[in-house]
Amino acid sequence: MHVYRRMGLLLAICLFLAIAGGCSNARDKGADQQSKDELVLAIGGEPDEGFDPTTGWGRYGSPLFQSTLFKRDQELKLVSDLATGYEISEDGLRWTVTLREDVVFSDGAPLTADDVRYTFEQTAQSGSTIDLSNLNRVEAQDSYTVAFHLVEPQSSFLHMLAAIGIVPAHAHDENYARNPIGSGPYKLVQWDRGQQLIAEVNPNYYGKAPQFKKLVFLFLSEDAAFAAAQAGQVHIAAIPSAFSKQQITGMRLESLRSVDNRGIMFPYVPAVGETEEGFPIGNDVTADTAIRKAINVALDREALVDGILEGHGTPAYTLNDGLPWFQEQAVIEDGRPEEARRMLSEAGWTDEDENGVLEKGALEARFRLLYPAGDVTRESLALAAADMIRPIGIDIEVEGMSWEDIRKQMHANAVLLGWGSHDPQEMAAVYGSAYRGVDFFNPGYYSNAAVDGYMRDAQYATSEEEANDYWKLAQWDGTTGLSAKGDAPWAWLVNVNHLYVVREELDIGEQPIHPHGHGWPVTANIEEWQWR
Amino acid sequence: MIRKAHTFLSFRSTSWSARRLQAWLSVASVALLLLLFAIGALWAAGQPIVTALTLRNLPPSAAYWFGTDWLGRDMLIRTLQGLQLSLQVGLAAGIMSAAIATLLGVLAASGKWADRVVSWLIDLFLSMPHLVLLILISFILGGGVQGVLFGVALTHWPSLARVIRAETLQLRQAEFIQVSRRMGNNWLWIGWHHMLPHLLPQLLVGTLLIIPHAILHEAGVTFLGMGLSAQQPAIGIILAESMRYLSTGMWWLALFPGLSLLIIVRCFDRLGHTLQRWTDPHRARN
Repeated sequence: MHVYRRMGLLLAICLFLAIAGGCSNARDKGADQQSKDELVLAIGGEPDEGFDPTTGWGRYGSPLFQSTLFKRDQELKLVSDLATGYEISEDGLRWTVTLREDVVFSDGAPLTADDVRYTFEQTAQSGSTIDLSNLNRVEAQDSYTVAFHLVEPQSSFLHMLAAIGIVPAHAHDENYARNPIGSGPYKLVQWDRGQQLIAEVNPNYYGKAPQFKKLVFLFLSEDAAFAAAQAGQVHIAAIPSAFSKQQITGMRLESLRSVDNRGIMFPYVPAVGETEEGFPIGNDVTADTAIRKAINVALDREALVDGILEGHGTPAYTLNDGLPWFQEQAVIEDGRPEEARRMLSEAGWTDEDENGVLEKGALEARFRLLYPAGDVTRESLALAAADMIRPIGIDIEVEGMSWEDIRKQMHANAVLLGWGSHDPQEMAAVYGSAYRGVDFFNPGYYSNAAVDGYMRDAQYATSEEEANDYWKLAQWDGTTGLSAKGDAPWAWLVNVNHLYVVREELDIGEQPIHPHGHGWPVTANIEEWQWR
Repeated sequence: MIRKAHTFLSFRSTSWSARRLQAWLSVASVALLLLLFAIGALWAAGQPIVTALTLRNLPPSAAYWFGTDWLGRDMLIRTLQGLQLSLQVGLAAGIMSAAIATLLGVLAASGKWADRVVSWLIDLFLSMPHLVLLILISFILGGGVQGVLFGVALTHWPSLARVIRAETLQLRQAEFIQVSRRMGNNWLWIGWHHMLPHLLPQLLVGTLLIIPHAILHEAGVTFLGMGLSAQQPAIGIILAESMRYLSTGMWWLALFPGLSLLIIVRCFDRLGHTLQRWTDPHRARN
């Protein structure tokens, strides 16, 4: 009797397992069985403001639903997209761009110079993250010729033309961000906020037609995206470095290089006063060049890359490692706490009371390092960096807080910030005197007349090469510069590789060095994606 | 009949002593656990929490009893320090809560209108979910230790206040109070000499029973990201962090801190209930 009962139980268990196994098999096939024309992506990054380029959509990647006048190829060279060419006037103040004449929006209306004028005027007005303050006015000279009149020469203006997707003047209203109409490779079909976005190929697209007829973007948390990848429900998923050690059968890990950097921004000036809003400016400890340089030298960036990014990253020495305007001479030799100690003692920092923290007169080598709470990478970097610095006698107190609180305290405390753009103009915004205390640009009030001069020359340069030379000099000219070799207003830590798990059979083309923002930039070359 | 009464009595007496022993044992074990924790916390308080990137993600071992996290920090130290912080916040909030409860409870018993207002307040607070109110208060006060402390203190008083109110009302009608009143003693004197000794056991038990709630709610709010800030070694933070690594198989990040929290909370709960049984004559008889 007992035996029978037990066998019955065994049978039931086997049956249950078989069914469960069958179910999981069926689920595993989920993404396979979908048509080959459809791609499911879980790359995160749902924009809160929607898909309106005039308010910042597509600034760091391709706008997908819209297209831009110029775009970047794999080597990050700017090539024509909507434009057929451009001319710069002698004084560098007028840029004339000619447009393709065969482009229509996804609603069938032709894209003309008027739409370009409208887009740039709207963007300048919206006060978005894209800084168009140097644009005086835009003028549609004829249907397919646009003239941009600048306030001052700006060689990097071409990058601006590559960052803003063109919107149709006739169909741009308050609902546009939710129902974008554009001339990009895809058009938006459905957007369920917080859940998913469905895009279909735009039949009117003038460029190379993408292989995939339909894209489904799932907006999942990192955890859920990884689980979905494991279950075979997505073809590509963005994952944090903590998950990179786990293998998923049938998927490979793509570790894409980026200039998505993280670094410590130091207040550059002594405590001098307050901003107009009453927030304190300056920090006596970090205003000491020796402190900033010693930290730069003492940090072991390789260890940070290996330890926190699981090797999926590169040590960062400047704002723009690896980009065409990167000054290779600005790279310093780091991981040398002995050298750091020597530099500090030369500058008069000693530990008289032997509490492990250096002093200079009444000043103790102690400051706070803020990071946005909830960002694990920044939290880990801040904690690990502080522990690396402590042995040389500088006490860094790490504190997580909201962006709102950071904004109030960032002029007087070190902050773990990140940048990384394909536009060299970013350097002027992060280090330029003109941007001291403007939004999150140059919160440390850094200023160096020589650096400002080089960056100005770069703006006024007439060719990209000449401009790049000046951008390099701004970083390090042999005696001074904005890099760690010069004034060291920042201690750059790492460039974070962007990690994706991708289906073995899916070819995502040749990816350029990615900008800030894990997610959308990967789709910049969506036309090249294909099944192997 | 006599025999029946006799067996009944003897049964009662053995059961009573067995229960007494059981109670003693439970208190002793709780005390032992708390003592162990106190020693551990004392040891951990002197240990700095340092990152060691070469010792990342180690499972529990002889050197690291609770394992290490993704920055190579010793989870035993973090857990003990976290528990200590949670306990401090829980204790402080529990005591504050009990103070509010006493004040309002006694106030309610002092007059008709005060009773209406306080009863209405109690009903209002009881009708709202603790956690929601707690998050709101904590958020308004800007989070951090202060936010959680006041959040917990301001949400956990109603049940105890109701008990105190009922007790005070009952006491007021008691003969010895009436007699004392007739003898010319004022209410303040009566409150101090006659009422407080009666209320004290209730208060003590009530406070002890609030503390586990307070600790759990502190951990809960912190877990949800509305409480203590991320660099503090709070148990809620540790548990929230561990969520990210569970899918990568780092079970020790959640298990040990969670278990420790459970044990500490159970200890206080047990302590409170035992004390309640001892001090409450009705329950002691049953």
